[in-house]
Amino acid sequence: MDRFSLTSPRVYVPLGLVVILFIIPLMVRDPIFLHLMILIFFYAYLTLSWNIVGGFAGQVSLGHTAFTGIGAYTSTLLFIQLGLTPWIGMFAGAFLAALMAVIIGYPCFKLRGAYFALSTIGFLEAFRIVVENSNEVFGIPIKGAQGMEVPLRGDSLLYFQFLDKEPYYYIILIMMFIALYVTYRISKSKFGYYLLAIKNDLEAAESLGVNIAQSKLKAAAISGFLTGIGGTFYAQLILFIDPANIIGAYLAFEIVFIAVIGGRGTLLGPILGSFLLIPVSELTRVYLGGTYFGVHLIVFGTILIVVMLFLPRGINDSVLKVYHWVIEKLERKGSHALEGVASR
Amino acid sequence: MALLEIKSLNKNFGGLRAVIDFDLSIQKGEIVGLIGPNGAGKSTVFNLITGVYPPDSGHILFNGDPIVNHKPYETCLKGIGRAFQVVKPFPDMTVLENTMVGAFSRVEGAGKAKAKAIEVLDFVKLTPKRNFMAKTLTIADKKRLELARALATDPSLLLLDEVMAGLNPKETEDTIALIREIRERGITLFIIEHVMRVIMSLSDRIAIIHHGSKIAEGVPKEVAQDERVIKAYLGEAYVFTRN
Repeated sequence: MDRFSLTSPRVYVPLGLVVILFIIPLMVRDPIFLHLMILIFFYAYLTLSWNIVGGFAGQVSLGHTAFTGIGAYTSTLLFIQLGLTPWIGMFAGAFLAALMAVIIGYPCFKLRGAYFALSTIGFLEAFRIVVENSNEVFGIPIKGAQGMEVPLRGDSLLYFQFLDKEPYYYIILIMMFIALYVTYRISKSKFGYYLLAIKNDLEAAESLGVNIAQSKLKAAAISGFLTGIGGTFYAQLILFIDPANIIGAYLAFEIVFIAVIGGRGTLLGPILGSFLLIPVSELTRVYLGGTYFGVHLIVFGTILIVVMLFLPRGINDSVLKVYHWVIEKLERKGSHALEGVASR
Repeated sequence: MALLEIKSLNKNFGGLRAVIDFDLSIQKGEIVGLIGPNGAGKSTVFNLITGVYPPDSGHILFNGDPIVNHKPYETCLKGIGRAFQVVKPFPDMTVLENTMVGAFSRVEGAGKAKAKAIEVLDFVKLTPKRNFMAKTLTIADKKRLELARALATDPSLLLLDEVMAGLNPKETEDTIALIREIRERGITLFIIEHVMRVIMSLSDRIAIIHHGSKIAEGVPKEVAQDERVIKAYLGEAYVFTRN
């Protein structure tokens, strides 16, 4: 069977899944359900971006929301002060986030393992506390811990604001696929091989011509850039940003949970992890969140422990095994049908 | 001009004088051996050459180019390859992917790197195990892989740190033959070894290091008879047999 023909399960199954994701909003109108899907894609997007540094290069950053924070605050401030559309402000925020990633990375990457992770938390918390306690920066009000509202423009494509969930759904879905594509291209490139080498054995990598510092910083910059854009999306979705959430440790940890449970360093792990954990998180938040704040993190932690005991590499490999089994079953069915036709 | 010129190299670790006034000259096409008791400073010399840490004083010239303040990735790109004493494969990558990392230092694009890696793996006879995960290999194959990775960087000088350690007689024979073939390809070799049969039969010249100082240097026959070398290291005069 031709590999790329539409009749081959290898092609029509993934294609079908993608198509389903795109037509869901046309079939299901419930805004609460759509919001859940938006969150799943959003977390997947953030985790895919994190994966470049945390999965491929193996540098576990527990402070990635510094970048969502910079992205969100930059685009929002540019919007408030200059009326600049967040579509453009988004890139300004992303560049600043990439810059901050390099600045943080430069000293932190000299640390190994747990020490690196701790240093990222240090930077994140410091950044958050500075923002929380600053009413203004260079004369520009940022309202500290109170947070800022994104000026309302109603339904406006130009200003990246919509009254319905559907536009947000499609934007974040596309962003998720872009992030997936970026990580795919990296994994097949010299840069990707170098990151993997760094993760496996630093000394050996260097003896083979890998510039460790440069590779890590490049990974940080790309990851920071993408994460910063995620921050702007969040700002435009919720229309309110404050340090506790957008520069929050909770969100930073959730990303890492999703990555580890999904499969650190795999391509689809972040998406699979998000599809598993976000519905769980939202359910626990809805039914238990009122009384017990942070319960969803307990659930995350429990799932993490269970997965680490039985599937230390995350669920990615097991899910793919099941997936391939299904594909093969479908392929055999298909060829039997052909044989049936031929023998007539 | 010598390919590698080491002059008055000194390295201290705190109070420990690891390398003292070390001189050595390696010509293109040679196989030079470095022997000495454990802890004498052999691997330290390798580390100083590749740039793992800088010397306290002294010069190292590669093709006339001073390389003393280079980092390991820079010396690799300049043409110095290295196989480590304790093998360091990339455990979660396949044999092919491991070798591709080396190849990427010279070519761009995954396709070209793969082709180059395949060629190198063929040369070291690891082709059947191309798609094995590196962590599943036997020690002999891991040592092969170490060689293949270094060869993929197209070195003009290859530093081999005890590549024979842990190999059985047949594997040792095969590796000796491979090293000869590497020399045929025009690569200069600087080898640390403890297996006397190997180093005596392969080397054009041998240097002996003891407590950080070079105590003798010469062709294998001279070194094998040298009183100081016998006292410090060999134990008794080495007797050459037909190899």
